[in-house]
Amino acid sequence: MSNYIATVGVEVHVELKTNTKIFSNSINGYGEMANSLTNVVDLGYPGTLPTLNEEVINLALKAATILNCKIRREMHFDRKNYFYPDNPKNYQITQARTPIGYDGYVEIEINGEKKKIYIEEMHIEEDTCKSAHRGTKTLLDFNRAGVPLIEIVTKPCMESGEEAKLYLEKLREILFYGNISDCKIEEGSMRADANVSIRKSKSDPFGIKVEIKNIGSISNVALSIEKERLRQEKMIEAKETFKPQTRRFDDKLGDTVLMRVKETGNDYRYFPEPDIPFVIITDEMIENAKKTIPMLPDERRKLYLEKGVSKINTTKLIQNRVLSDYFNNLLNEFTNFQIASNLLLGDISGYLNKTEKTINDTTLTKERFIELINCIEDNTLTSKNLKEILESILTSKKSIKEIIKENNIENITDDSAIKEIINKIIMNNPESVNDYKNGHDRAIKFLMGQVMKETKGQIDPKLAMEILQNELQ
Amino acid sequence: MKYLNLKIEEINKLLKEKKITPTILVEEAFENIENNKELNAYITLNKEEALKQAKELENKEVDNILFGLPIALKDNIITKGLRTTCASHILDNFIPIYNATVVEKLKSKNMIIIGKTNMDEFAMGSSSRTSYFGAPRNPWNKEKISGGSSGGSATTIAARDVLFALGSDTGGSIRQPASYTGIVGMKPTYGRVSRYGLVAFASSLDQIGPMTRNVYENAILLNAIVGKDDKDLTSAKKEEEDFTRFIGKDIKVLKLAVPNFFMSDIVNIEIRNKVKDIIKVLENNGAKVDYIDIKYIDKAMTLYQIIAMGEASSNLARFDGIRYGHSKENPENIEDVYYGTRAEGFGEEVKRRIMVGSYLLSGENAKTYYNKALSIRDDMRKELTNIFKDYDLIIGPTTTTTAYNLDDPMDDPKKSFMDDVLVIPVNMAGLPGLNIPIGFDSKHMPIGMQIIANAFEEAKIYHLASFIEKELNLKLDPKGGEHNE
Repeated sequence: MSNYIATVGVEVHVELKTNTKIFSNSINGYGEMANSLTNVVDLGYPGTLPTLNEEVINLALKAATILNCKIRREMHFDRKNYFYPDNPKNYQITQARTPIGYDGYVEIEINGEKKKIYIEEMHIEEDTCKSAHRGTKTLLDFNRAGVPLIEIVTKPCMESGEEAKLYLEKLREILFYGNISDCKIEEGSMRADANVSIRKSKSDPFGIKVEIKNIGSISNVALSIEKERLRQEKMIEAKETFKPQTRRFDDKLGDTVLMRVKETGNDYRYFPEPDIPFVIITDEMIENAKKTIPMLPDERRKLYLEKGVSKINTTKLIQNRVLSDYFNNLLNEFTNFQIASNLLLGDISGYLNKTEKTINDTTLTKERFIELINCIEDNTLTSKNLKEILESILTSKKSIKEIIKENNIENITDDSAIKEIINKIIMNNPESVNDYKNGHDRAIKFLMGQVMKETKGQIDPKLAMEILQNELQ
Repeated sequence: MKYLNLKIEEINKLLKEKKITPTILVEEAFENIENNKELNAYITLNKEEALKQAKELENKEVDNILFGLPIALKDNIITKGLRTTCASHILDNFIPIYNATVVEKLKSKNMIIIGKTNMDEFAMGSSSRTSYFGAPRNPWNKEKISGGSSGGSATTIAARDVLFALGSDTGGSIRQPASYTGIVGMKPTYGRVSRYGLVAFASSLDQIGPMTRNVYENAILLNAIVGKDDKDLTSAKKEEEDFTRFIGKDIKVLKLAVPNFFMSDIVNIEIRNKVKDIIKVLENNGAKVDYIDIKYIDKAMTLYQIIAMGEASSNLARFDGIRYGHSKENPENIEDVYYGTRAEGFGEEVKRRIMVGSYLLSGENAKTYYNKALSIRDDMRKELTNIFKDYDLIIGPTTTTTAYNLDDPMDDPKKSFMDDVLVIPVNMAGLPGLNIPIGFDSKHMPIGMQIIANAFEEAKIYHLASFIEKELNLKLDPKGGEHNE
């Protein structure tokens, strides 16, 4: 156990899922040809002026609501002045003094206990362009310049990499479910920086702060924080001093590497952006934003468990928003939700993955799905039968019963008929029956195989097993 | 026959009757410009394109009063395909790929852009002598300045090269040169004309406006360039109006205020006397005139320096040699691209203002200076707006002196700002203000009067200005020889 307490704060940049950029009408897109999604505004041409995309305000209001933030009712933008080739105007339009949201929190569960991670503020800003270094040259792609971002800054309220990881996972989940961002870390639409310091006791002042940038995954955030905590501990124990600094996480090294020492506080010469008038956030704007917030994961989890879905299925459903949304549609119906979730996560997911479709691309309406669930529940259809006709179910509009009929699937659900078949098999296989009675469990599997063969699988295996065991007594 | 010396209504009639063509007007304009070459009013001429455009117009219907007329644009207004330098070395190879909104509006009226006029580098200065291309000369006396920063536009109008020019006014840059050269120059209300495509100097103050020979033509040109623009969030949505509508009406109804500060001894006595003469004329014609004190207007200069230089330091950061304009050759690294390009590209005054502006926004200074200046500016705006509860217009001199010599020393930056001490309060409050020539000093240099109205009341300004113009009936052609003194 360490003698030190780590203090961790996290800054997250999230790209907003808008149609166009924040200050121009260029398309907000990823993976297009370099510099194809740009115009004179994005390029910072002389004489150009920013416009303001209302979609951005709406999404930021949604995010602020989801993050339990207070909302600034009169806000403006500021210019952050610094020279860098990826910064086309050599100032970034951001919100320094009037962030749209402040004093919020996100709840995580750590070691079975709930903990609130406090949000200091969240503000709107524009993304920079992307630079690629080729030998002595640097290439600039302005497609990303002007993509809307929100930056979410926590208070220094976390104590471990694990907490930061849980916070980021939660943040990603709710922002994704809120339709605010696609939160793809690998595409840079969600980026996290961590601030780490250590001290001996909570009554001590905060230690020297080190910022870690360029962390490529959530698990690496946790790793880099732990590595940084150890590095600082070693230095302090060895009575070495260090300055506030910026480090980056090196994937290959699996450790942090010094980028630059912060000599003095950066002077960004912030001042209110004169090209964009103050924005007044009305009650109506907030209400409209709230209205478009879909059901969030925590509520979904609660509901699914209440409806009898297993914990594992609940977790899996929430990992796939499209399926979860589809599943939500069923919640007001009376059906077996565990079977429904098994079907969605099992055979149906298999088919969807294979055919690269989503559930919404299939013909499985709510009514047909419920019919399907009922057929499974009353053994009209076994899982083996289902595999045979799954494609028809998902591509035709016929009722499930019709499809079953067309495929000559008729399950033997009549107990006496099953008994008759089973008794015939018992008669024909006395050795196996003997083996079973002498305690050889394998024998019953053989007999069961014979039953399935005889019935061509058109029988509910559970039911057959029950009857077989009874008849063998 | 010099068609461009005719009144606009007469030219329009001749065009409609097909007695003349736009080509004749364009050719005449270039002939005038050529004859006045030594005035150095232009940085770039648009000869080939203008003639081509004039030719194309010959088969078109003459559908508005500005049809086929040549116009000169200050060289900080972005013109697609036509070099736009801001009179700076850093943009001396810059050919824009889009048009300013005002340019699109002029094109929709089928006006013909004749060229880009000389100015102070990035509009920073008040004599146009910070131009990389040398200063323009005053048509009334070639040894004198034309003022600035819209010195080239003022020069070409005063010299009667063309009827129309656009300037920009951040701290008097339309009205002051208009006063020095004896023309009519209007700085409209902030937000009246789109700034999209005006290379920004101080974003919260910049405004494009018309510079013309007379009041009517000024109002006509303003009619053509105003309007809410979706590309400029600071542009204002207003009902369409005709700015000429009060022209020629009597002035008995007008209540006028003269700020005592405007008539204090900071202003040359000849100018004060001339303004007093005009006030008498106005009173004799039934206008009511009061001398009043206005709080804060003597502080406007200080506020202006803080706000304009702060904003400029940020606005000019984009000129870095990476995407357009001048770039240092064979730079060693990225710092060298920045330092080298900007050291080579910017002139002394621009560098000075960027440095002062950066300092003013640096660290705690932003709170001490810039934010405080913004808040006092609000107080000043309120104070001025209050005046208009009791008065229709504020009047006074436009400048403290008439145009001075081109070779007067430039090493006193405060002096340059003092040239604009009477025009700057208008920008600080976002109000409209206009210069109207009211006579000449003992050296036969023009004297101007400033008329200021409440926000969006430009029509009232033209009302009074047209009366003064008619009443004085000055001969304002420098080559006309005789002065109405």
